[in-house]
Amino acid sequence: MSITKQTVAILGAGGSMGSAIAKSIAGGNYRLLLFDSDPKQLGELSQQIRDKHPEADTHFMSCPHETSWEADIIILAVPHEVEKELTDKIRDVATQKVVISIANPVDEDFEKLTTRPDTSAAEELQEWLPHSKVIKAFNTTFAADFEQPVIDGKQTDAFIAGDDEEALIIVSELVETAGFNPIIAGDLTVSGTLERMQLLLIQLTIKNNYKWHAGWKILH
Amino acid sequence: MYEQLKKSLQEHVTLSDKEWELCKHSFRPKRMLKRQFLLQEGDVCRELAFVEKGALYSYSLDMSGNKRVIRFAFEGWWMANLQSFFTGKPTRLNIEVLEDSELLILDRKNHEMLLEQVPPYERYHRIIVQNAYVALQRRVENALGLTAEEKYERLIAESPAFLNRVPQHLIASYIGVSPETLSRVRGSYNR
Repeated sequence: MSITKQTVAILGAGGSMGSAIAKSIAGGNYRLLLFDSDPKQLGELSQQIRDKHPEADTHFMSCPHETSWEADIIILAVPHEVEKELTDKIRDVATQKVVISIANPVDEDFEKLTTRPDTSAAEELQEWLPHSKVIKAFNTTFAADFEQPVIDGKQTDAFIAGDDEEALIIVSELVETAGFNPIIAGDLTVSGTLERMQLLLIQLTIKNNYKWHAGWKILH
Repeated sequence: MYEQLKKSLQEHVTLSDKEWELCKHSFRPKRMLKRQFLLQEGDVCRELAFVEKGALYSYSLDMSGNKRVIRFAFEGWWMANLQSFFTGKPTRLNIEVLEDSELLILDRKNHEMLLEQVPPYERYHRIIVQNAYVALQRRVENALGLTAEEKYERLIAESPAFLNRVPQHLIASYIGVSPETLSRVRGSYNR
């Protein structure tokens, strides 16, 4: 972990995943820049972070472009269908930055993925941000897992995929700070598998009533 | 966002459009605010920073926690701890933002890629490092052989930007005198 503080931008910080990630890494050595297109969503988050981490270096931002410009790592905590529009706004300041894709492109009925079988949300994001280092992470965990990453006495695994080795290490540290056990699953083409894993977990959660607090763990 | 970088490259080398595009897309644009750190003591310097706008300064801390300023970087200048960058060993320096800045940051991997794939960049880098070496040698000579008055005069002659943009205590630290001595020197110089 570096001594120099890294700046993390969370776009869509007011949503359930965005705010869960923000709260879980606010105690780490990060400067957090939080943006949401609906700023009202950020009101409670500010208080929640202060309560838990009074020393947190957190800033609320009003523009996704400025937010991304100041960041080293950008987390897109928005649904996949709005990612393209957002990438149009930040592309010029996201060059060479780590951009984390947390999206699972599932349809309304949680029956299938909306992406083509030969690609994934993360690979599409990489096409939209060709000069960024897109990393798949935080997509195999539910928002509630961030509050309690230890389930049934076991620390939940969080899978990471991407093509840039240094970016994978940076994201592993972030995942560890959030309380999960990071596992580098492979290059960005593995993202499709990770997104399907979460579709399955969603389906099983509904079927078996896991109350949206469930995760993956490799036992070995 | 890339004007100063383009200007700096064009001052020394000629790049094709394709080479410039490759260069441009290898840098991470980063806006930083005054008092933020680009690098802190104990980390390894893995990146080179080019200042598009604003100012940075590097320094070490003495036993009492006083800053010993090594150098400044304004628009069009590069900043890094080359010793740590080239050896891979942790730096003893801090690089702090002096004025809100717009930086272009190049990591080692992309720097090496450019050295290999863009021959004019290799030439440019050689010239920049050569100039940095000359400046460093001159700075050592100044530090060892000049009086406080001479150091201040040379600073004004060579880098007038210092006077308006750098706080006096940092100028004093840079030329290696106490703020009181600098104040006396400035007084006699202005007379």
